[in-house]
Formats: sequence, structure tokens, C-alpha cells
Amino acid sequence: MQAAERRVDKNKAKNEPWRDPHAEAYVRFENITKKFGDFVAVNNVSLKIFKGEIFCLLGGSGCGKSTLLRMFAGFETPTAGSIYLDGQNMAGVPPYERPVNMMFQSYALFPHMTVEKNIAFGLEQEKGLSRSEIATRVADILEIVKLTPYAVRKPHQLSGGQRQRVALARSLVKRPKLLLLDEPLGALDKKLREATQFELINIQEQLGVTFIVVTHDQEEAMTLASRIGVMNRGEIVQIGTPTEIYEFPMTKFVADFIGSVNMFEGQLIEDLPDRARIQSEELGGVIYIDHGISSAPSATVWAAIRPEKISILRAHPGENVENCVKGVVKEIAYMGDMSIYLVKIDSGKIVRVTQPNAERLSDDERIGWDETVWLSWHASSPVVVTQ
Amino acid sequence: MNTTARLAAPRGTHGRLGPLWTFFFRYGPPRWSRYVVDHWTGQRLVIAVPYLWLGIFFLIPFLIVLTISFAHESPLDRPPYDSPFQWVYLDEGALKQGALQIRLMVHGYVQLITDELYWSSMLFSLQVAAVSTLLCLCLGYPMAYAISRASPTSRNIFLMLVILPFWTSFLLRVYAWIGLLKADGVINNVLLAIGIIDEPITMLKTNFALYVGITYSYLPFMILPLYSNLEKHDNTLLEAASDLGAGPIRAFLRITLPLSMPGILAGSLLVFIPAVGEYVIPELLGRTDQLMIATQLYHEFFNNRGWPNACAVAIAMLLLLVLPIMFFQRVQNRELQAARK
Repeated sequence: MQAAERRVDKNKAKNEPWRDPHAEAYVRFENITKKFGDFVAVNNVSLKIFKGEIFCLLGGSGCGKSTLLRMFAGFETPTAGSIYLDGQNMAGVPPYERPVNMMFQSYALFPHMTVEKNIAFGLEQEKGLSRSEIATRVADILEIVKLTPYAVRKPHQLSGGQRQRVALARSLVKRPKLLLLDEPLGALDKKLREATQFELINIQEQLGVTFIVVTHDQEEAMTLASRIGVMNRGEIVQIGTPTEIYEFPMTKFVADFIGSVNMFEGQLIEDLPDRARIQSEELGGVIYIDHGISSAPSATVWAAIRPEKISILRAHPGENVENCVKGVVKEIAYMGDMSIYLVKIDSGKIVRVTQPNAERLSDDERIGWDETVWLSWHASSPVVVTQ
Repeated sequence: MNTTARLAAPRGTHGRLGPLWTFFFRYGPPRWSRYVVDHWTGQRLVIAVPYLWLGIFFLIPFLIVLTISFAHESPLDRPPYDSPFQWVYLDEGALKQGALQIRLMVHGYVQLITDELYWSSMLFSLQVAAVSTLLCLCLGYPMAYAISRASPTSRNIFLMLVILPFWTSFLLRVYAWIGLLKADGVINNVLLAIGIIDEPITMLKTNFALYVGITYSYLPFMILPLYSNLEKHDNTLLEAASDLGAGPIRAFLRITLPLSMPGILAGSLLVFIPAVGEYVIPELLGRTDQLMIATQLYHEFFNNRGWPNACAVAIAMLLLLVLPIMFFQRVQNRELQAARK
């Protein structure tokens, strides 16, 4: 038993280097600020990225994530702060001398060159590579991205997905220490996006390259990333694994940004080591939490409950259930695999509940519009955020 | 062929051999009014206007010039040629028969090939045009590049500055160059005053003045197509090149330059084709002992009154330029198709 535990711990340290206090960060952003005139695009961002991980910068438009990426690639100079790659300060190093490659959102394929020439371009800039070597490496990477039959085509003769793979191949063929991806899956349709997400992860594991991905799509971030950095208005709001970000958001913004959430504002009326209670007018009652909050007494807090953690029933769940509220179903959205219910509770607030369609139910068994229902959740489900 | 078969093809389209075939065979005399109704649609009528214009103002004059080039020279007449088409009467006994006699004199064309004067002026024209095109390219490309990189407000100002000279008379601008280049002109006076030279430099009536004049006059024709092409370039391509390890010069040579080729070709042809037939600038600024082909034509036409020879020269000039023009058209078509994709 102990040996197994120790083995698991060692794997954990290797797979989660950010937990190890002695681990050397591969990339360090230290107090990076970028101003365009008076506008502050990036505000004092500090970040550590470790080797071999897929790090995702997630945020809405204008949050500064692309600017951060471009500063790392060398296309913008930070107004303040330094960037270190593998211990080396990147200040003053132009993009063509950084061991970093970027995959652009628009792919930026050279229209006057074939797929082969596009990919070989980067290798031709390196000194000391013979023609045959370049040809071999190009052929190898074409194999990996499965584009070998399209080698002599020009970009305008390819589909969107194929162009994306050419862009990927072009950036990987130089075997960079880091690959930067700017909204890599934005231009693809849903099915292709899902397939490409897993392909990207496979390629990353195969080649062992560190990825930094910039995206506004949460699904993309949740699928690809080993860690996500959520950005808002030029600042990093929270960094964590997808699970941590989703289940344990630290601020209202993060809770609201990822997935959907029901936010109940209230006063902290009881705060003990193993339980807490929040008096919430929005709920019209008391929210029971099964852990302590360690916040100031009578502080204003928000309880965030995810829609899938609320159960919706036609009858009162029973006396021993702590968190329970009555409401009327206002809207139902049938998504196929699950249904979304918008329930209006007595206080007037609309609560969002999702339920998987696990069984086939007849029309009377299924919950319908304007029905009175009972919503309940476990005391461990809410996350309490204080800002 | 019965009526139904003849009209079986969809209305408004022509048969394999084109409009004439359609007119005569598919429709035939009884249905010519129907032809007008079917084919002279609004779209086609609009095309008819430029066709008509070109027909009246280019095709017919061209045919006239072609005819005169085959005419017999007679400098003392008015006009100084005998038409190749003459109606003669052949007297055969009691019957007087009229016949159309066509007499094609090839003296003009033969002279073009054999006379060294014409050869040298043709080659000189080509040389001058080529060198001027190269000079315009060397001067115009950096200017077009700089304009395309400037901020939008500055860009508009620069473009206006490029076009501004066209608002003044072309002749006046050439005369201005005379004023600058002549022995007691501005440049010489300034240099003498400063003391760099002791005697005025001969700049006028030299090849140097000719190149300066042509390059100056045709520079906007090089800058504008180049700018139009460079302005459409995608900046992220250069960023991608930089990211892949290409320094600024490499990126320019391998990305910007190849992509600006259509612009270079368009600008070069827009300078080369008119420059070959340039008359005013060589007449005012160029040497008097080595003539370009247009001046040659002028002399032949007005001084020697050799209309057939002059027309032969004109036809030769046209043929000389047909190849570059066809090439230009090919390039334009290719760019249009690429833009459509």
C-alpha cells in the first residue's frame, strides 16, 4: 500500500511540476506590463510555465492574452518587466533569434509557396542543414500531421483544416523549445475542432514540446490545457488545472467566466472549521456549506453553485436535506444529451439547472413548463467566493 | 435543318463559330429581327459602345495607316501617295472593262529591315525604354514601399504628392527640365556659384537628359501599381517569416519581393510601352544625332513627306509593342483570377 502511494506521489510530481516548490520554471514572466499610449494592455503579470505542459491563457476579447503571447514571441516589447526562457533573458532578442515558434490565428501561410516550401522555410533559415536533411525533416513532419499527399499543393488549394495542419507542421518542424498557439482552433467547425484538439494533445506528447495556447473558448482550454491562466483586463485572475478552475474558482469573475454558475449573494452568519452558513436574500433562506470559509465575520460573500450540481424534483426531497428551495420552471432547453431548466424561485431570481437525459421519460413523467419544482443541492457543492 | 433544330440552342447564346454563324445559319434572313431581340440585350448593348468607339477611332485609322503603308510614294502630290487600290480600265478591243488593281508597295517595310537608320532607332528606343523602366523601378519601389508602410493619413498625403505633377501640363514639366539642365540653367548656375565646377556641364541634349526626362515623367506610373500591390500585403506573413528565423532582409527578399511581382510587372509595362513611342521628351531633351523611333517617324512624315514609309514605321512600332502588351494582358488576367479565388 505504501509503495503504491509513493509511486503515485512521484508521478504526481512529474506530471504536476507546479506543485513542486523546487522545480525550475521553463518560462518566467516577471512583472510584465505593456502600455499602448495610455491604454494598459497587460498589467503587472507574473507567470511561471513548466517544461512539457500545455498552458492555456484564457480570457475574453481585449483581456491582453494575445499581447502577452506576442511579447513572448518577440513582436512587442514589454514596457516593464522581463521574460526568461530557460533561464535566459529575452530582452532585446528579436523574434528570428528566439527558440520559439508561433502558430498564427490566420495561419499566415505563404501564398506563393507550396506546402513543402512553406514548411521548409524555417529550416532553410537555419545554418548547417543540407538539402537532403531538410527534405527528410519536412517529409517526417508531413507524416505526423497526415498531409503527405498534399505536399505540392499551394495554400489556396487546401481546406481550412488542412491549412491549419500546414501551419502546425511549419511551426513544429524547427523543433522549438516552445510552441505558441494563437486561437488555434477558432476557424474550424465543431467536429473538426474536437478531433483536432485530441490530435494536438497527441502530437504534443509525441514531440514533448511545451505549448502555450491563447484562446477565448473555454471548451478548448478545458480540453487542451494542463493548466489554465484566466485573464481579465490585462491581469491574471487565477491559475490552475481545469478542475481547479471549474470547481474552485477564486473570484466571481472566474466562476462566471467558466461554464455557467448560479451566484447567491449573502452574509456569512456562521463560520466554523467544518461548516458555514450564509444568509442569502437572493435565495430567500440559508445556504449550508460543509466546510469553513475563514473570512471576516458577517462579510458579504457569494455562493457559486454549478447548474449540474443542483437536482430538480417534483416533490419536496425530504426533511433531512439541508439546501432546498421551491421554484417554478420558466424555460426548458432540450440539448439532446441534457436539458437546461431555468427556474424562478420565490425571491425572483432565476436559477439555472441542468439535468442529463439519462432515461427516456414520457411527457407526463418529464418536468414541464410552469411546474412547481424543488431544487436541492449537497452542502459540499457551493463554492464560496469573497471577491 | 428545320426551324426547330436551328433554334434548339438556348436563346441569347451563340453557336460554336460565334455571332456571325448564329446570325446567318441559326436565324437566317426571315428571323433577323428575332436575332436583334434575342441578342441585343442591355448587357450586350453596353459592350457595344466601347466596341464602336474602338472601331471608329482605332480600327478604321489603323486600317487607313495600313493601307497607306502599302501605297506608292509620290511626294509632290497631295496627299503624297497613290492609293494601292485603283480602278483601271483595260481596253480589250471594243469592250472597256473596269478592274480593281491592288498594288502593294513593300518599299517601306523593306527599308525598315535593310536601312541601318531605322534599325538603330528601333533598338535605341527599346534601349531607352528598358533603361528608363529600370531606373523607375529602382526609384519607385522604395517610394511605393515607404508609402505603403506609412500611417493612413501620411499615405494619402504622399499619394497626392505623387499624382500632383499630373495637374500641370506635361509639356511645361519637360520645359522645366530644360530650364534646369541647360548651360545657363539653374543647376549649372548654382554649381558655378558654389564653385564646384569652373565651366557649365553639358546636360541638355544628351542621353542623360533623355533618361532623366523619361524617368521623371513616368515615375508615377511605376509607383501607383506598385503601391496598389504592396498595400494589400498581409503583415502577418512577415511576422511569420520573422518567427521562423528570417531576418528583415531575408524576409523582404523571399516574401515581399515575390508577392510584389505582379505590381512590378504592371508598373514596368506601364512605363515601357509608352516610353518606346515617346516623342516630346527626346525631341526637347535628347540628342539630335540619335533618334528614337517616334522622332524618326515625325521626320519621315513631315520633313521627307514619305507617308508610306512613315506608316510602315508606325505599323512596325505597333508590332514591336504587341508582344509586351499581350504579356501584360496575360499577367493582368492571372492576377484577376487569383484575386477572384
